[in-house]
Parts: sequence; C-alpha cells; structure tokens
Amino acid sequence: MNLLELVGISKYFGNVTALDDVSTHVEAGKVTCVLGDNGAGKSTFIKILSGVHQQSKGDYLIEGTPVRFHSPRDARAAGIATVYQDLAMAPLMSVWRNFFLGSEPGTLGRFDQEFAKATAKAEMKKMGIDVRDIDQPVGTLSGGERQSVAIARAVYFGAKVLILDEPTSALGVRQSGVVLRYIRAAAERGLGVIFITHNPHHAYPVGDRFLLLNRGKSLGDFAKSEIALDELTRLMAGGAELEALQHELGSR
Amino acid sequence: MADNATVQGEASQRDERISFRGPMQRMLISPEIGALIGTIMVWALFWATSEKFSTAPTSASWLDGAAPLGIMSVAVALLMIGGEFDLSSGVMTGSTGILVGLYAQKFMGDGATMWLAIPVSFLAAALIGWLNGTFVNKTGLPSFIVTLATFFVLRGANLVFAKRLVDKVLVENIDEVRDFEPFRKVFASTHVLESFALRDTILVLGGILAAVLVVVGLLEQSLVRREKAHAAALPLLLVGVVATVVGILLIHKTDGVGANLLAAVVSLGGAILATIGLARWRHETKTLSGAWWTPAATRSFAGGIAATVLAWLITRFLDKHETRVLLSIPAHGIKVLIGVVAAVAGTGWVARAGLDRMRSQVGGARRSRWAWPMLVGTSLVGGLVALVAVLAFLQLCTEQGFRSAVQVGLGGLGILALLTAKGAARRESGRAQLLLGTIAALVILWTALLIRHDAGSDRFRSGFVATMAIAAALVLGNSLIEAMMVKRTSAEAKADRRGRTIVVSGVAISILAMAIRLTWSGAPVRVSIVWWVGVTLIAAYVLARTRWGNWIFAVGGNKDAARAVGVPVDRTKVGLFMMVSLVGCLVGLITALRYTSVAASQGVGEEFEYIIAAVVGGCLLTGGYGSVIGASFGAMISAMLATGIPGARWNTDNKYIFLGAVLFLAVLVNQKVRKKAQEAR
Repeated sequence: MNLLELVGISKYFGNVTALDDVSTHVEAGKVTCVLGDNGAGKSTFIKILSGVHQQSKGDYLIEGTPVRFHSPRDARAAGIATVYQDLAMAPLMSVWRNFFLGSEPGTLGRFDQEFAKATAKAEMKKMGIDVRDIDQPVGTLSGGERQSVAIARAVYFGAKVLILDEPTSALGVRQSGVVLRYIRAAAERGLGVIFITHNPHHAYPVGDRFLLLNRGKSLGDFAKSEIALDELTRLMAGGAELEALQHELGSR
Repeated sequence: MADNATVQGEASQRDERISFRGPMQRMLISPEIGALIGTIMVWALFWATSEKFSTAPTSASWLDGAAPLGIMSVAVALLMIGGEFDLSSGVMTGSTGILVGLYAQKFMGDGATMWLAIPVSFLAAALIGWLNGTFVNKTGLPSFIVTLATFFVLRGANLVFAKRLVDKVLVENIDEVRDFEPFRKVFASTHVLESFALRDTILVLGGILAAVLVVVGLLEQSLVRREKAHAAALPLLLVGVVATVVGILLIHKTDGVGANLLAAVVSLGGAILATIGLARWRHETKTLSGAWWTPAATRSFAGGIAATVLAWLITRFLDKHETRVLLSIPAHGIKVLIGVVAAVAGTGWVARAGLDRMRSQVGGARRSRWAWPMLVGTSLVGGLVALVAVLAFLQLCTEQGFRSAVQVGLGGLGILALLTAKGAARRESGRAQLLLGTIAALVILWTALLIRHDAGSDRFRSGFVATMAIAAALVLGNSLIEAMMVKRTSAEAKADRRGRTIVVSGVAISILAMAIRLTWSGAPVRVSIVWWVGVTLIAAYVLARTRWGNWIFAVGGNKDAARAVGVPVDRTKVGLFMMVSLVGCLVGLITALRYTSVAASQGVGEEFEYIIAAVVGGCLLTGGYGSVIGASFGAMISAMLATGIPGARWNTDNKYIFLGAVLFLAVLVNQKVRKKAQEAR
C-alpha cells in the first residue's frame, strides 16, 4: 500500500496555475524524488504536502484515506515531517538541545538532560553519524551534519513520511554525498522519503521513483526501472531547449 | 557506493583526530569565565591596595550593595538570553515602592494593611510586564523602543502620583502601615550573628576538603583509569598526606616568617606528593620521555627569564619610598633627551609599520601618488604622540608608582611567558615540560617573595605569598601529572559525570565554608543576600534543567526555528517580561521596606547597570547565549568597585572609568571564549 499518494493535484492562486494535475506516490522504505528547475512548482508542491497550502483540485491520500490539512501542525500529527532548507535550528544551542527543542522529555517542566543527551547521540548513530561531542553548538557542525540532525530528529519524533526540501543545494560534493547516505538510511528504516532537488545526479543514486515538474506541469512520474540517468538529465534540463541551446552555442 | 565508502572512511579518521576536551578546557569555554576572572581580579586589586577590603564588615557591605543589583541582573540576563531588553526594569523598582507607600497612605487611609499592598504591587508589576511583552509581540517593534516608552510612562507616573497625592517627590513613612513588621522581616531584615570559636576551623577544614575533592574530581575527569589499583603508590600517598597535615599544623602553631614559610613548603610539597600518589594509585602511568629541551619553547623561555631579571633589576635600582614624580628627578638636559628618543622611536616605529604595509600592497592595488607624503605625515604624527605619551607618563607617575607597576606588570609577564614555554613544550616532550614547569614554579615563588618584601600591608603580605605559593604548587603538580600520567583522549560519560559531581561538591563546600565564615562574623548581614542567592540558583536551574530554559535559549537564538518546532514563542516572551517586572517589584520592596521611603527617581538609570552586569557575565546582546551565574558575578564587580574605590581612598568618580574598562575587557574575553566554543570540534 502507498504510504502517501497524490492524485491529480492542482493549485491555483487567483488566475495563476501553480500546479496542474500532478500525481505521484511514495511507499514505505522508498525514496520518491521530485525534480524541477526554478519555478517548476516544487515549493507549492511541498507546501501542499506539509499543510501550508491546500490543493485546489485532486486527492491527497495517506495510507489510502483522503486527508485535507489545515495547518502544518495537522500534517505533523499525521506523521508528515518537513525538513526545510534553513533547518529550524538555533545555531548557538547544543546538538541535544536542538534535537529535543519543542518536545523536551521529562516531567513537570524538568528537562531530562541525561536522557536527552543519550537519546540524541544514539539516534544520530542510527543514522550513521557519530557526533563527537553532543554538547557542541549546532552552528559548529558542517552543513551535511546539520541536515542529519534535522533528519534524525524528524525520524525520532515518529515521522512516517519525510519531506526534504533541497537538502543538498547549499552543499559541496563530499557533503552532498554524506546527506544522500542519510536519505538512504532513513528509507531503510522504513520511512517514505520525498526528496526535492534540481540535481538529477543527486536524485538518481538514491531515488526509487522520479516525478519531474516543469512550469507547474508533470513531465512524468517514473519508476527507476523506467528511466535512465541521461534521460532524466535530459528531461530535467529542458530536453529540446537544451539541445537548441547547445546548437546555438556550438555554432559560434 | 565507492564514494560513500570513502566518505565514511574520512569521517571516522577525522573523529580520531579530534581531541577530547579536558575539564579545564571545558571550563575555559563557558560563558561566565570572563566575569569570574574579572571578579577575582577586581577583588585581588582591592585586597592588595586596601587594608580593610577583605574583612568581614567590608565584605558584608559590598555584598549588601551587590544583592539588589544581582537579583535584577539575573532577571535581565534571562530576558537577554531570550533576545529582548527591558529598559523599564530600573524604574520598575521605584514604582512598586511608591505604589506601596501611596496605597497605604492615601488610597486606603488608616485601615490599610501590607497584606493587601504587597500582593497589589506584585499584580501591578505582572500587568506591566504583560503589557511590555504583549506590545513587543503584537507590534513587532524592538523591545528597546517599547520598554523605553514604558520607562518614560512609569517615570512620569511616579512623579505625578507622588506630587499629586503627597505633594512631594519622596514618599515616606512606609513603616506606619499596618503589618509592616512581618514583611520587613521577609524583605529587608538585618541579622547580626555573633562569631563563634570554630569559625576559622570550619573555613580551614572546609577549604582543605574542597581542595581535595576538586583535585580528585579533576584527576577523575582528565586521566585514564587503571584496570586494577596500583597498591605500590599508597606509601607515597600516605607520606604526602602526613607531610601536608604536619605542615598545616606547623603553620598554625608557629609565628614568624621563616618558620611559616618552611611549614608552607612542607605542606605544599606534601600535597603534591599526595596528589601524585593518588594519581598513580588509580590511574595509568607512563614513563618520562622525550628530550630535556625543545626548540619550540626557547623563545618564550628566554623572554620570560629576561622579563623576570629586568623586573628585578629595575626594582633594585628604584627607591620604593620616593614619591616625587619621575620627570622632576633628572636634569633638564636629560628630559629633552628622553623626549627626543621617544619622538625618534615613535616616528621610526610608525614609519616601519607603514613601509611594511606599502610593500605588502605592491602586487595589489595601484599605489597612490600620495602614499609617500601620507607615510611621512603619519610617521611624524606617530612621533609626536610617542613624545607626548612618554612625557605625560613621566609627569604623572611617581618613582614609587613606576616601581610597583614594573614589579607587577613585568613580573607577571615573565611568569606568563614561562607558562607559555611550558605549554609549547607539552606537545613535544614530557621531560622538557617538567623542567619548564619546575622553573616556572620557582620563578613564581621568587617573584612572590620579592613583592612581599616591598608590600606595605601586612594582611596583603601574608595572603599574597600564600596565594602565590599555592599557584606555584599547582603549576608544579600539573607539570608532574602531565609528564607522568596518561591523559584521556575520549569522553567517558560515567567517569565524566562522577568527576564533575566531585568537583562541583568541592566547590560548593568551599563556598559554604566561606559563607559561614562571613555570616557569623558580627557584621550585619542583610536578608537580601539570601534572596539574591535564591533567585540566582532558581534562574540557573530553570535555564539549564527545564524545558522553559530550552525555550528561552531558542527564542533568543532563532525565533522562527523555535516557532517551527512548536515552541510557544509569544508566551515565552511575555513570561520573560512578566518575570523581569515581578523581580523588579521584589527588589523595589526590598529597598522600600528597608529605607521606609522611596524617591520618585528611585532606580532611574539603573537598567543600564543591569544590562552591563549581564553582558559582563557573558550574555550576548543579540540573544540566545549567556549565563545567569555570570550576571551575578557582573553585579559583584560593580558593587566591589562602588565599595572598594572609596575604601582605597581613590577619587570616587573613577568608579565609572573602571566600570567602563571592566565592561570592555570582559566583553573582549567573552567574545574570544564564544569564538573558541564555536570552533568546529
């Protein structure tokens, strides 16, 4: 059964069509990649998934039942966790303080530090990252490590579907590799992952399913077996447009 | 997949290279370290210059001044960590007092009781805090502006109500209100506790116990434990303990400098032996290795020795009783010569720096046509500045003053350089480190004895030598431990926690012993100090150990992030503003009930002292980082300056110059600390 399924989703802002008839799904333990250039409708897509916007048309199904979220809180309660680019962390606070921010363990207002430190460390380890010092401020972590804290936090707090908004866009080659590894690790722990990116070379190694968006329209929703990397790259880069550009530049 | 494997490999390799932070390093990167060092230094300054400063009555007096300031600074620090300011916090302390006084005299007539007045004033404070917070949240204006408005409104209200209702800017006779006495007891009573015979014994025993606990805890945290205890080290431990006890008893029994010094050497030597014995008994040892000298240490070592010898020479040839200004001593020709030398040296120095800069820019930006004239001009100005500075210094400074400045400044610099050499050797060789550590300890002792020989105050003489002797013992002990024991390179949760508990209990015992010594001294102790300690402890607990503490950090550090993960940002802020107002009310009552009268201008301008104390204590102006213990230390510095400067018979106006200098220095230290804390580990 599909963990999350979108059928014919459209979104209109006044007379602007932000998304038009987009469908895809994500299964438990699988990674669905959403690819698109700037202005393709990726942000609108995420905002509908995470409950910030509601779709104008189409069905949003979670484990087969149609849902309609009115706020991000609703989405979180249904197990949809979104890790945004800015990661929602306070850079001067330690890893464990950030990990449990907003959901501190302990009774009567007490913050159980021992439990928090041990759990944060263990959860990070499950993601395959060994934090040297759980007391260090999040601001001292590298971009990839910070992503991993955000992902581990979402997983620990019971996310079933993890939405990652361009987690590799600000990272170098090596750090991107680290994050891709965490994405795979999250999927292997049974989560459905929706990975939003504009880089097919990041998407292809980790993805099981690829949804391509262009100007709010779906260019197709493929399983990995149905599409090869160069085809993905070609579609992603605008296909014919790029060939024309190549021709133009080559003929100088 | 191959990529991932290398990534993983690199990651684990990097992990091993990251060194473990020992307990001292961790303490050095805590936010309150700047304020702690500042407190100790200011205290030592007054201790050295004034006979009375370290006595119980003076201590009680400056602690009394520090209490209201400390209580408010703690509250303001919490608010600052939450990312906001409250400029109305100072005037708030006046408003509550005025409210209580007016309520009692005018609103309710003769039937008024404190049982109603006090809750009403707390309610009013809570309301003002709620308004502050709500306005900040709803309007999105900086709290600086919103609370500035509150400040003016309250200040005006104080004046208007006081003038309208009692025709004066002073509200008096608060003590005539019914049921005044029980509240005075709670908020503003004074207790004189007579001293008792065991007072000093408790301080000494508490101090020794605390020292033992701190040493054991630090060893536990920084050294590798043995699989099995090493019994052969026990005799060493025993001998050390016996020598320490004998030494301390000797100090107690003997009188006279020579005998006391001998006893001090015996007890400190014993303490070092006992520490080594304890370390060898429970922790892994290593053999002494490496060359006896490393080139890395040569430069600092030579500098340190040179500074020490120079300090000694200068102090030998200057007269310590000469109080004439330096410039009036030499003949006129020499004065001109000094001026010319200073001018030439200043010109040359600035010119050289300028030339270096010009050379470094050669490949870069095109050199301007005005570069040479500019250089000559600045060099001449530099020479003039040097001339004026040197002559002014000679004009201001007496020979006596110059001598003590050289003694303390150059002597301290020498010791610092030697310790740097020891640190440089640590990375290279155990033997060299041990050698340099021993030399540094000897130089510390020698400098201490030299300064002691010159110092006027008896109290300072004995105390200073004792402090320096302990410092020398610490340096020597530390060198021995580092050279002979295996240091930990990884964290170990259980041992770390145990070590920390032992150290913290040691520190707590020493504070308790000191508090007992100060409280039962016959000097008046005010209950406000108890409030101060209580508020600080509660605030520290809330900040570190509760969910609200986590929210305060997050609200100040990244408000949007906090909101995104479900922290009630607005409620946290309103709560903080209300807390500051309520604490302001508490301080207002403490002052009002003590003096039984309140001026309409009470507390105006003090809000900046609270903010300064919090900043000195390590709070970041932009929020999200800081410490309430540090804010308490900041308040102590302020209060010590207020009491110590008149006590040392200096011009009282100097207080503000000092306060400014301390603020600047503490913020510099804090900035360094924060950078260090935020370096990648």
